[in-house]
Amino acid sequence: MISTYAANVAIAIRTSLMDRTNFILNSAGMIVNDIFLLILWYMFFAGFRQVGGWGLHDVARLLGITLLVVAIGGVLFGGYRDMAATILRGEIDALLTQPKAVLPRLLARESIATAWGDLVMGVWMLLTFAALSWADIPVVLLAIACGTTVYVASAVAYASLAFWFAGARSFARDLTDFMLLFSSYPGSIYGGATRIIAYTLLPAGFVVLTPVTFLRAPSLSSLAILIGSAAAYSAIAGAVFQAGLVRYRRGLVPTG
Amino acid sequence: MPSMTPTARADVALGTFAAAASAFALGVRRNLANWPILMGRALFYLVALTVLSALWDKVAAQRVAGALVLPPGGLTLYVGATEWITLSVAAIHLRLEDDIRLGMLEPHLLRPKPYLVQKIAEAMGDSVVRLIGIGIAALIALALSGRALPPPAAFVYVAVLGVFGAAIGVLIYTGVGLAAFWVRRVLPPYIIVQKIWFLLGGLFAPISLYPAWFFGLAVVSPFAASIYMPGSMMIAPSVRAFGEALLAQLAWLAALTVLVALIWRAGLRRVLREGV
Amino acid sequence: MAIVTVENLRKTYRYVRRKPGLSGLFVRDVRSIEAVSGISFEIAQRERVAIIGPNGAGKSTTLKMLSGILEPSGGEARVLGLVPWKQRRQLAYRIGVVFGQRTQLWTELPARDSFALLRRIYDVERSVFDRRLGQLVDQFGLGGILDQPVQRLSLGQRMRCEIVASLLHGPALLFLDEPTIGLDITAKAAIRDFIREHAGAEGQTVVLTSHDTRDIELVCDRVIVISEGRIVVDQPTDQLRRQFLGHRLVTLRSAAPVVALDLPGVVRRNSEPHLSVFEVDTRTTRVDAVVEKALALGGIEDITIEDPPMEEVVRAIYDANGTR
Repeated sequence: MISTYAANVAIAIRTSLMDRTNFILNSAGMIVNDIFLLILWYMFFAGFRQVGGWGLHDVARLLGITLLVVAIGGVLFGGYRDMAATILRGEIDALLTQPKAVLPRLLARESIATAWGDLVMGVWMLLTFAALSWADIPVVLLAIACGTTVYVASAVAYASLAFWFAGARSFARDLTDFMLLFSSYPGSIYGGATRIIAYTLLPAGFVVLTPVTFLRAPSLSSLAILIGSAAAYSAIAGAVFQAGLVRYRRGLVPTG
Repeated sequence: MPSMTPTARADVALGTFAAAASAFALGVRRNLANWPILMGRALFYLVALTVLSALWDKVAAQRVAGALVLPPGGLTLYVGATEWITLSVAAIHLRLEDDIRLGMLEPHLLRPKPYLVQKIAEAMGDSVVRLIGIGIAALIALALSGRALPPPAAFVYVAVLGVFGAAIGVLIYTGVGLAAFWVRRVLPPYIIVQKIWFLLGGLFAPISLYPAWFFGLAVVSPFAASIYMPGSMMIAPSVRAFGEALLAQLAWLAALTVLVALIWRAGLRRVLREGV
Repeated sequence: MAIVTVENLRKTYRYVRRKPGLSGLFVRDVRSIEAVSGISFEIAQRERVAIIGPNGAGKSTTLKMLSGILEPSGGEARVLGLVPWKQRRQLAYRIGVVFGQRTQLWTELPARDSFALLRRIYDVERSVFDRRLGQLVDQFGLGGILDQPVQRLSLGQRMRCEIVASLLHGPALLFLDEPTIGLDITAKAAIRDFIREHAGAEGQTVVLTSHDTRDIELVCDRVIVISEGRIVVDQPTDQLRRQFLGHRLVTLRSAAPVVALDLPGVVRRNSEPHLSVFEVDTRTTRVDAVVEKALALGGIEDITIEDPPMEEVVRAIYDANGTR
């Protein structure tokens, strides 16, 4: 099953590389975008020094992880971004007549060009702001893998709203974008109700904060939370998608 | 076009206006038909605001030597206003991208009413509904939060400036959408423009907190007119500031309209030369 | 053994109508459309069946239910011994589906790449796949175009690639949803010939939906006409003609500009000078009587006897059922 997925993604990546100009515009554009984010935070810390004990370096580390999560998600599972539109156009009919599961096909359908820009910036930020040694690499990879799982799973759940509401196309994209935006805020600001939200509806907490916590102080409990959150969100996303697919196959989703 | 009599020209203008009005109504109806999404957007606004106000409350509560001083009452109301406007701007760039890239312009070009005016009117209808929906949510949240309220006049100022601010946003995104004539996919320009907007418009913090040289740069941009000026009514409302802001907004609306018309003309020439 | 059995299959779509205006926010008006209202039929192996009908008749809905995409509201169906909507994945290995209006190929890449991916999706062994692909490429004359990006191909070429894509895993049953829509005559002919010959050679069963009556004439041996969700006709193609239009056309080419035939049940159609077309009601008069009379007149250079075009047949069926 993985080899089929890999073959599918390989084609998607080749497709995204086909239009050279477009690819360069997209990845460069993303690098510029990420630099702006850094500028915003730089200005913030220049003005306010720190917030809840978090300084610029901490946020940069956070940003680095966030960007890598988005990068891996975008390159390998990029179909999540346009999934709502794909559903609403009835393009999953062809996938339903084929013998493999629909969701992986949908995720492997596209590889997002901008994600490569995020990859470059994410690696740069981590190298510059996080004191990493070669021994840390497996831990970093694990943290990123789990964060990516939560990110893609949430995006899938948001996109699956399209099975219920036609207007989900732009809304799902907004939700995903903002989940990202909040992933890059210092964890120290979350308390009480906000903390609950950051760890449930917009699981920014699990996308980035949990991995970062795990990186800072690896322990069995933080590992458990890391892997547990990834598993839980995957399960939720899978369930929502399947429920939506049942609706689709009952003919309750207006397409076209 | 051959020269028309004044009455003929008035007729054409009236016809265009009528068509735009019905496009506006279409935008309104379409948004209302998707009301679950509108509610979701309002909910989302509240969530975003919760996180941002957590940030600013934390900053306001701590006393860090050498840090900038926030206005009394913090920045929550300011961010409430800027987010309200930002989230209300309809995604016209996506619709334009679709129409242009997929060659769907042709049927529109064959119709007697100007395509772009229709599209903008529709997006404004969409935006107005969002402004109202999210605005109601904002007011309810504000009432429930127990925070100190600014004087009632401030709300009036914000409401008026907010509508024009959203209109500026629609025009800016129209320009971004029209980039599809040249770059096929508008995502890169969109992301960049959006971030510049956040930065120069002061989405997360008023630009008055920026270093003086940067403030000077930002305040003359359309982005500041779009969100900073309405937002600042929540910090320091005054008739004079309102008047100045309104003038700035109207000036920008005029300038952006001309700019967008020029881009459209250029794009259209390209299409007529090279095909859709 | 029947490949497809359908019993009393039904599909009702529900949609919500909102009242215009503010009350639309609170009042929901749920309407139902019965897209398919209880249809039953059987298809045997090697049959080539056309499902035709006016727009909105329920053809695509039926196809979707039989291919497992859509669940019915009632009734039963079995395709290759499996229940399509319950055993979708198992069935998928054994059917091929072509959507005329939508592509399953990656448009920016050559068709060859899409085929390679499909090989993995259907778990086809490489040697089997290569052999099959080679055969299909030869049969369909696709040699030069497999390496060009699909978006550069003409519609006809793209359609041929779509069909090949659906055959790579050697399905026993082929569903085609409007396969010739939008194609020019040559392209249509190529596809029709291919389907007929290939299906014949491989022993495949073919079910296609179409608006084009020539698809029926040239590809299929049986026609199911669906109108407003019900089957109104289910017959072999030639019987259809004879049943619904009990007439044949006799065309005479003559030296004289006009030929007059005065026989009961013989009606003259719009003709050109020297070419007279007569509609013969075979229930009243036999064709050989007409030919005899025509020859007796003398000066007849050529006689053609043919069945009325399928289009007329179909139109007659629609008219008979009050549909338009």
